[in-house]
Amino acid sequence: SLEKNISLASPTKVELTCKLDENTNLKNPQVTWKKGSETISHTSKTKNSWTIQVTISDRSQLGSYTCIVKDEKEISATFHLHVPKVEGREKPIITYEGDRAVMVCKTEHNSKAWTWYMTNGTELVAINKILHADKFQIKRPSANVNRLEILKLTKKDGGEYWCEASFDLGSSKTRFELRVLSITAPLKPFIAVVAEVAILVVTIVLYEVYSKKKGKGREKEFDQIEQL
Amino acid sequence: SRGAAAGWAWGVVFHFFLVNVLVMGMLKTFGIFFVTFREEMGGSSEQVSWIGSIMSSLRFLGAPLVSAVCQRLGERPTSILGAGLVAGGCLLSTQATSVPFLCFSMGFLLGMGFACLYQAAAVMTAKRCRARLAFCNALARSGMGLTFLMAPFTQLLIELYGWQGTLLIFGGIMLNLVPSSMLLWPVSTDLPQKSAKNQRRGSSVAKKDPETPGGCLDGSTPRELQLHCAQEAPTTERLIPHSREDSDPANPCALGRLQKNPESSSSATSTEAKRSHKTLAATKKEPPQPLLDFSPLKDPVFFIFTWSFLFSHLAYFVPLFHLVARARTLGMSSRDGSHLIAVAGITEMLSQLLSGWLADHNWTKKYHFHVTYLLLSGVTNLLGPLATTLPLLLAYTVAFATFCGGFMALVLPVLVDLVGVEKLHSYLGFAAFFAGIAAMGGPPLAGWLYDYTQTYVCSFLFAGACALISPISFFFEPSAQKWKLKKANL
Repeated sequence: SLEKNISLASPTKVELTCKLDENTNLKNPQVTWKKGSETISHTSKTKNSWTIQVTISDRSQLGSYTCIVKDEKEISATFHLHVPKVEGREKPIITYEGDRAVMVCKTEHNSKAWTWYMTNGTELVAINKILHADKFQIKRPSANVNRLEILKLTKKDGGEYWCEASFDLGSSKTRFELRVLSITAPLKPFIAVVAEVAILVVTIVLYEVYSKKKGKGREKEFDQIEQL
Repeated sequence: SRGAAAGWAWGVVFHFFLVNVLVMGMLKTFGIFFVTFREEMGGSSEQVSWIGSIMSSLRFLGAPLVSAVCQRLGERPTSILGAGLVAGGCLLSTQATSVPFLCFSMGFLLGMGFACLYQAAAVMTAKRCRARLAFCNALARSGMGLTFLMAPFTQLLIELYGWQGTLLIFGGIMLNLVPSSMLLWPVSTDLPQKSAKNQRRGSSVAKKDPETPGGCLDGSTPRELQLHCAQEAPTTERLIPHSREDSDPANPCALGRLQKNPESSSSATSTEAKRSHKTLAATKKEPPQPLLDFSPLKDPVFFIFTWSFLFSHLAYFVPLFHLVARARTLGMSSRDGSHLIAVAGITEMLSQLLSGWLADHNWTKKYHFHVTYLLLSGVTNLLGPLATTLPLLLAYTVAFATFCGGFMALVLPVLVDLVGVEKLHSYLGFAAFFAGIAAMGGPPLAGWLYDYTQTYVCSFLFAGACALISPISFFFEPSAQKWKLKKANL
């Protein structure tokens, strides 16, 4: 079945059209438009297309609208009307203690308001309200992008964060995972590699010193042989 | 101690191999860092890609400067310096907060470090591996084939430790180049005071038996003595005991009897070498070394080589760049594209080894092989646009990779054949510089070709044309050599 996603931010009127391909020869197609179980009547109809007009004034009118074409077989196509989705980072964000974490939230349409939440146990606590300027900074570089910067990270700052964009017709959220590592985490493999390098260097230097001594001894031998 | 000399040659090859793995690996995995840097620093795509451009182009452009440093300090200190620069650059980059900072720490420091490492390793390989230079060079270059392991490894590190932790660990890994650089023991020292003892030790170790079993050899002594000859005609450098090249004209050197009997028995040569060196040490004058030796630019052989090097480089990179994109436009998935790249990499590695081994037999001059591979590669590229299905594209990839591996493996041996080892530093430095200019212009040119013609066919035709233009200069090689000889004998 065919599907299409449509993002709507504010109240508007939408026209949805189902159009049959010219090559299909259906004798007597019966087309119904449905939202869930409710049938909607066409507003306009041509030989091969059926259109409905929907006025979206609040979030209850959002959802999935399906057109069903019944002839010998049944074909359906669905339009999903929803609030614009918010884009974040799927992979965990890795930062270090004392460093700065940056979380960027994006949408396609301009958002009315942005809210950031952090999880305190199982609850969501809005950061906008407890805005300590030296810990959290929220910047809005453009109407559809929002940045949360967390300064002076500690281990406790790790966890889930949510970014919520509010539109006239509703809001949508996305999740960020923040991991705060201590500096010793990558330091361990680093020191292991440096130790290995140091061992190799010392070995080679010792070998050089040893072979120089041996070489000097041999040269003395050569000198003696030549003098003979 | 005969085994020791061969052992050190393998050590040099191993170091060069490691340099290839780590340097090329770093260059290739930069793309993974690119995405992370863009997100964190927020620069534009163009700004962040400058870092990668500086890193890869300085590797070539820094070569003349590095060759001067190498001639002053010696290969071993330069290589250790290079390793230090690379490791330091990685460590410094962990503190980066902006793109210009990264341009310096990752672009400049790493680029110069790579140039140092490459120059020192390449020249050292040429100095140590006289007999089997082509094979040893190919063996070292096969390290580039292993770089495909670096990408998933880097991804894993970034997932575990973030980009800063990854760069920290990379800095440590690059430090491994310090002990491997220490394997680049000098073949002979430049200082006259020390060289007497070293030469004596060297001559007792030098191989006099031309048909040596086992790999690379250190046939340095007869050649090193040639260094002190007043006239350094290029043809004297060709006197490798086991090479079957054309006999050279009479040598004006005082040590004539040594050169004219290269295949004489071992003990005779070594005692002669010792005695004649003793007398020579008294009368030797060290020619003044200029800081930056511009003599290659006056040498027609240099232009012959650089012309060929430049165009063969373009012919190598452009199709690789666009192979995956071409596969996509023909309707294949990007998975097929990455399979093609993998096949190309493996085939190239194998063909490099085969070409090196083949060229070392010295059935004909090495550049004849080089020219043959270039011509075949050019023809393959010109036929490339005919490949429109996956099997045909696969056949093209295999053929292309085989011929490219063939000529790439021979670049260094051909240069050594043309100019000899003593002047290799300055020649290689300048050749790399010009190749760097080509390398900088290559990808944008290829991109422009695509934008202009809206098809990738032109890239392959362009690469084919480059590959066919490049060997033209070698037709002038015999006449250039005669010209040089006339000039030297005047």
